[in-house]
Formats: sequence, structure tokens, C-alpha cells
Amino acid sequence: MEGSFWILLILLVVFIVAVFFLPRYGILSRWQHYQKSVEREALEDALKYIFDQEQQGHYVHQDALRGALEISAKRIYSLLDQMESQGLIQHEQSQIILTENGEKLALQIVRAHRLWERYLADEARLPLNKVHSVAHRREHGMSSTQIEELDAALGHPLADPHGDPIPNAAGIFRPHEKGTNLNHWEENTPGKIIHLEDEPPLAFAQILATGLKLGQTIRILEKNNQRIVLTDGENEFTLAPAVAANVFLQELSETDQALRDAIPLTALKGTQPAEIVQLDERCQGFTRRRFLDLGLTPGTTIYAELENAFGDPRAYRVRGTLIALRKDQADDIWVKPLPQA
Amino acid sequence: MTETKQLQPQDVLAMAESLRPQLGSGFRDEIVQSMYTEAQRIVDRAVNKGSKKKWDLDQRIDRLVTSPIFGLPIMLLILAAVFWITIVGANVPSQMLATGLFWIEEQAANLFTSIGIPWWITGFIWHGVYRGLAWVISVMLPPMAIFFPVFTILEDLGYLPRVAFNLDWMFKKAGAHGKQALTMAMGFGCNAAGVVATRVIDSPRERLIAILTNNFVPCNGRFPTLIMLATVFVAASFPPVFSSFVAAGTVVGVVLIGVFFTMLMSWILSRTVLKGEASAFTLELPPYRRPSIGRILYTSIIDRTIFVLWRAILTAAPAGAAIWILGNINIQGVSLAQLIANFLDPLGFLIGLDGVILLAYIIAIPANEIVVPTMMMVYMGVGMMTDPPSYSQLHTLLVDGHGWTMLTAVNLMLFSLLHNPCATTIMTIYKETKSKKWAALSVVITLGTAFIVTFLTATIARLAGWV
Repeated sequence: MEGSFWILLILLVVFIVAVFFLPRYGILSRWQHYQKSVEREALEDALKYIFDQEQQGHYVHQDALRGALEISAKRIYSLLDQMESQGLIQHEQSQIILTENGEKLALQIVRAHRLWERYLADEARLPLNKVHSVAHRREHGMSSTQIEELDAALGHPLADPHGDPIPNAAGIFRPHEKGTNLNHWEENTPGKIIHLEDEPPLAFAQILATGLKLGQTIRILEKNNQRIVLTDGENEFTLAPAVAANVFLQELSETDQALRDAIPLTALKGTQPAEIVQLDERCQGFTRRRFLDLGLTPGTTIYAELENAFGDPRAYRVRGTLIALRKDQADDIWVKPLPQA
Repeated sequence: MTETKQLQPQDVLAMAESLRPQLGSGFRDEIVQSMYTEAQRIVDRAVNKGSKKKWDLDQRIDRLVTSPIFGLPIMLLILAAVFWITIVGANVPSQMLATGLFWIEEQAANLFTSIGIPWWITGFIWHGVYRGLAWVISVMLPPMAIFFPVFTILEDLGYLPRVAFNLDWMFKKAGAHGKQALTMAMGFGCNAAGVVATRVIDSPRERLIAILTNNFVPCNGRFPTLIMLATVFVAASFPPVFSSFVAAGTVVGVVLIGVFFTMLMSWILSRTVLKGEASAFTLELPPYRRPSIGRILYTSIIDRTIFVLWRAILTAAPAGAAIWILGNINIQGVSLAQLIANFLDPLGFLIGLDGVILLAYIIAIPANEIVVPTMMMVYMGVGMMTDPPSYSQLHTLLVDGHGWTMLTAVNLMLFSLLHNPCATTIMTIYKETKSKKWAALSVVITLGTAFIVTFLTATIARLAGWV
């Protein structure tokens, strides 16, 4: 009896020690690992913030950085110390400036963030207003090989789903057009939305709430100091000028012109045949590849043949085969009705 | 030889990188479009389109099977017919197989004894390993050999995609894919086969949902348990005239509960762990075709039946060995199985079952077919897996002998429906997803649901004073 008690006790002690101190799997080493990743996240967020401000021509002070990261004064000191010792930042008077290395790392994080946004919007089909926060969580701790793999898997995209450019591996932004701010767009000239700024989130949420989308063709109906009224031909959208400053337009190209009298596939009635004009810009990644695989290319004739009892999905005849699509997907296919055969 | 600079790979890459921005985003579209244009040109020149007659027939069938009025009834009717054919057709061959295989066991055991081999070797090999194998084969093989070909005929005909089309609205709400209806139907035959069948779902997120929830559909290894319980407990409390209807109704009810949990779990999964996985929905509705018998026999017998059976055999043999050892090693006159069952009793009580049932489920992780025989072995105190006695004797044995109540029967049905996948299915999930994480998750969510649901029903029933 005595013996077995001691054996049990020793086993228990060994077990508890193992649970706490086992390398890699022990609670202690997990906690350390977690702490490290939290620190790394804060560091990367700080880099990104400073980089962002520098891009806009502002200089960053400690307090502003602390406010942006929402961390304590004590932690900001240790964080800045750490960044300085790693040669990522320099202090000039009270301003914080990125070193060359710091900028490189910042660009890598920006790259990871925007690639993730692209992935989440295209492949995972996450709603656009959720993309930023999820990407923000996933962008950290990625090795450069992982980032390269993500980039290659997405087909080296040029811009994130908000229209912001994605820097390449060397940290160079590929040339891209930012377009004209909606506040400076002329009344009654049709334009295509090519960029929606996702910061600040509040303004972005307001833009999304109105129903404005990337790639949409709109024109301004009315413009004054209080509000800007837009139309896409069917609906009217009203924005405050401060919010409108986050919407960027570009003049229409040839295909955009053709798109102007196109309707989404869902709006097609009965068995009316139509010709596919274009797949919507917001339909990217996996879905777009599937559509192309199935032969839903511009110029193809398509008509609805079979409707589900609940109206969704609907089956369409394309190139002799019958393909069922859900409403939200068929909305991404723009068609021009043809005269009934 | 002229002096030229050797072209280095990195130069080519750098050039590609510098040229890429000029491509524009739509160059993939253009490539595909040019391919399709060329294909169309060849088709126009080479293919002679036949009459439109078959098309019209196809359309008429399509209108009928997807119509708001007839669509659902037709589907249910076909599903019921498939079940009926499977259950009725498998009955006789199952019994013949069992008789034959157990006859071999008896003869072999006698032979071993007569040439003086110690009883424990005979017992371990013949009453343990062999009996486990024979049991799984005789219960599993005939229904599968019938269910899979019939199912493949429907697949070949082109009817199954129409089912997915009809039911997609429901799966869409749960964040899943309409084709999950097909993989669920396949799960009735065998969950491992159902998991393999999720390959038809091309969207990664929806495919994972279908894999992780497939086990909520009772497979044919679990159906006999459900039918037995429905007959012995639920139907017995009704007049004999209705009893078979009540039993059938109970089994259908259990299946519907399984469908409910499939939907609930799909909904939860698509909004939590699987939120960031890729997703898309497209469903091709192929023209109706005459099934080709040779191909059907091949795919259903070789690809599905033999594949599943082989994996089940691999896991059933060790299970048979374990059961025999547990049933035949006695400590102070009590078998190891009984001891473990006693130890598990408190946990069993908590969820409205008992220790013996939990023990049977632990041993039966390799194959659900042996749950009931293992339970019978312990209840009847014999040393090998045993068939339940006739239904009335069974009722007496369980209720009077071992304190079963209606709650035990109901919770056992629920537990059987919701508990973890069998080893074959877990292995298949691992192979299909190539991830231990998903395989583990499939166990956690099913076992978790089973414990929570049975705990709730047991607690509610006891508080309400029903038992």
C-alpha cells in the first residue's frame, strides 16, 4: 500500500512537470511561443502604421503610434527599443522614421496583408467588409516563401480587392492607376469605380451600405457641400462628401461601354436567350476559373432552362450543357438579351 | 563561336516580372476565350448535330423531376425504394453468409481442439479474430453489394444531380453545397464511401463540411441496431397491428434527426472553423443516359464495396481479438469486459446508457456492426460475440435483467446516430483531407454532439420523472 502510494505520487509529479515544462508541447513553452507571436504582431503592426503614415507624407510620433496600436506606454517603449536595436527604425528628434530594412519589412507585411485580402475575397468569398480584419489576423508570421507561394497561387495579382496595389517581392509597387476622387469627378460623366479606400473602416462601411461596388459604372446626378447623389442607371446612391473622398473613379474603357446596357444573368426572364458580355470584376479566383472552365466566356449564348421550385438555383443551357448556378453567382455574369429565336 | 551572354534563369524571371504589369488582369480570360473560340470553330465544322427529339424528352423529364409538386415525392419514393430493395434483398444472403461462416468457425475450432491445441489459442483465433471478421462480412457485405450498384444506376442515369438541384436551397442556407445530399445518401450505405464521394463537390469549403458531417447519416452498420431498438422498445408499446409501421416511423424519425444535426453542424462549421476556406457553387446537370451495366458493376463492386470491405476487415480482426480477450480474461471470477463495464457505469448513467453499452462502443470503434453482438456477449456472460435472442426474450433480458428503460433505448438510438465515425471512416477522412486536424475534428464534433444530446435527454427525462 505504502509503495504504490509513492509510485503514484512520483508519477503524478512527473506528469505535472511534463505538462508544464516539456519543450515545445509544455504549457510554459506554448505560453512563450504565444507571447512571442503577440510581440511580433505588435511590431509588424507598428511597422505598417509608420509606413502608411510616411507614404501619406506624415511623420509619426510615439503617442500617435501608441494610440494606433492601442497598447500601454510601457509596452511602446520596449517595442520601440526592440525595433531600434533590430535596425528597423531611427529616431529623429521625436519623430520615428523607418530605416531601409524597416521599410523592406513593412512592405513585406503590406504585401502579405493585401495578398490575404485578395485570397479571402476571391477564393473564400468572404464579404468585403470582413476581409480586412481577417487578413489582419493572418498576415503575421509568414515567411517570405509562404508569401511567394500565396502570390503564385493567386496568379500574381496586381491589386487587393479594394483596388490598392500589391507590392512585388522586391518591394516595388507595380504601376497602377488610382483614379480620380469622386469629389473631383465631373457631373454627368459616366465613370467606373476602380478603388474603394478601406480606411477608415467607418467610411468604408458606409460606402458598402449604400451598395456601391468596385467595377460599377456610375455618374453624378447632384453635387453640393452636403451630399453627392450618384446613379448607376437604376438606383440612386447618396454619400457625404467626406465619405465620397474614399471613392475613386476612372473613365470608361471600350468593354465598359458595352457593359452599360448589359443586365445580370439573374434578370433574364423565361427562356429569353442572351449573349454573355463579361464576367464581373468582383468575381475572381476560384469562381471565375470555374466559370471559364465551363465555357462561360464573352460572346457565348446562354438561356435559362430549368428553375428550382424555390427560384434558386436556376439551370442555364450553355454550349449544349445544362449548368445550375446560384443567384449570387449568376449576378456576376453580365449578358445582353438577344432577340428570341 | 560567338561570345553570347549565357541567359540565366533569374534574368528570365526578372523579365517576366517586368512584363507582367503590362498583361492586365484579364489575360487568363483571354486565353480561355481563345481556346473556346477555336474549339467552337472545330465543332461547327466537324460535329453533325442530330435531331432535337432526345433533348425534348430530357427537358420533359427535367421538368417533372424538378417540379414543385412532384419533385420531392419522386425523390422520397426512389429513396424508399432503394432502401426497401437493400434491406429485403440483403436479408437472405446475410443469413446464408452468417450460417456458412460460423459453420466454418465451429468446424475449425473442433479440429483445433481434437488435435490438442490449447483452448486459448483456438478461442483467440477462431472465436476472436475469425468471428469478428465473419460477423462484419456477413452483416456488411450483402447490403453494400446491393446498395452501391442500385445507387450507381441512379448516378449513371443522371438523376442524382437533379436531386442536388432540388435540395440546394436547403443546403445553401446551411452554408453547404447541394451535392452534399448525394454524399449523405451515399453515407446510408457506408460513411467511408460517403466521405470518398465528397470528391464530386469541387469547392473546398463545402467539401470539408460534407466530409465532417457525413457521419450524422446512419450507415448500414448502424441500421440493424436502430431497427432492433425501434422494434423491441418503441413499437412494442403499440398494438401489434401498427407495430411495424411504428418501427419504420421511428427509424425514419431517427434519420430525420440525423439530417437536422447535419444541417446544424454544417451551418456552425461554415461560420466558424471553415470561414476562410475557398468556396464556389456550380452544378452540371448532365443529359440522361442509359446506364452501362459493366461500368456500374465495376465501380460499385471494386471501387466501393471491396474498398470499404477491405478496410473494415483490416480493423475488424483486431477488434475481434480484443473482444475475445476482454470476454475471456477473468479476474476473481469476473471477466475483464464486465470489470471495465462496471467502471464505465457512472459515465453511462449520466448520459442515460450504461457501462456495457459504452464498452461496446469503445471496442466497436473499428466497425459499428459489432456493437450489438458485443453488448450481448457481456449481458449474457458468454465468452464470444453473440446474436441477440428472439425479440421478446431480448426485451426480458434487457429490461428485467439489466435495468433498461425507454430512455436507454431512445438514448442508445441517439448515441448510435451521433457518435464518432468508425475507424474506417476516420482513416478515410484522413486520407481524403490529408490532415490529422480534420480527422480529429470529425471525431470531436460527433462525439461531443452525442454526449451533449444524450446527457440533455437523460437529464430532462429524469427531471420530468419519465423514468
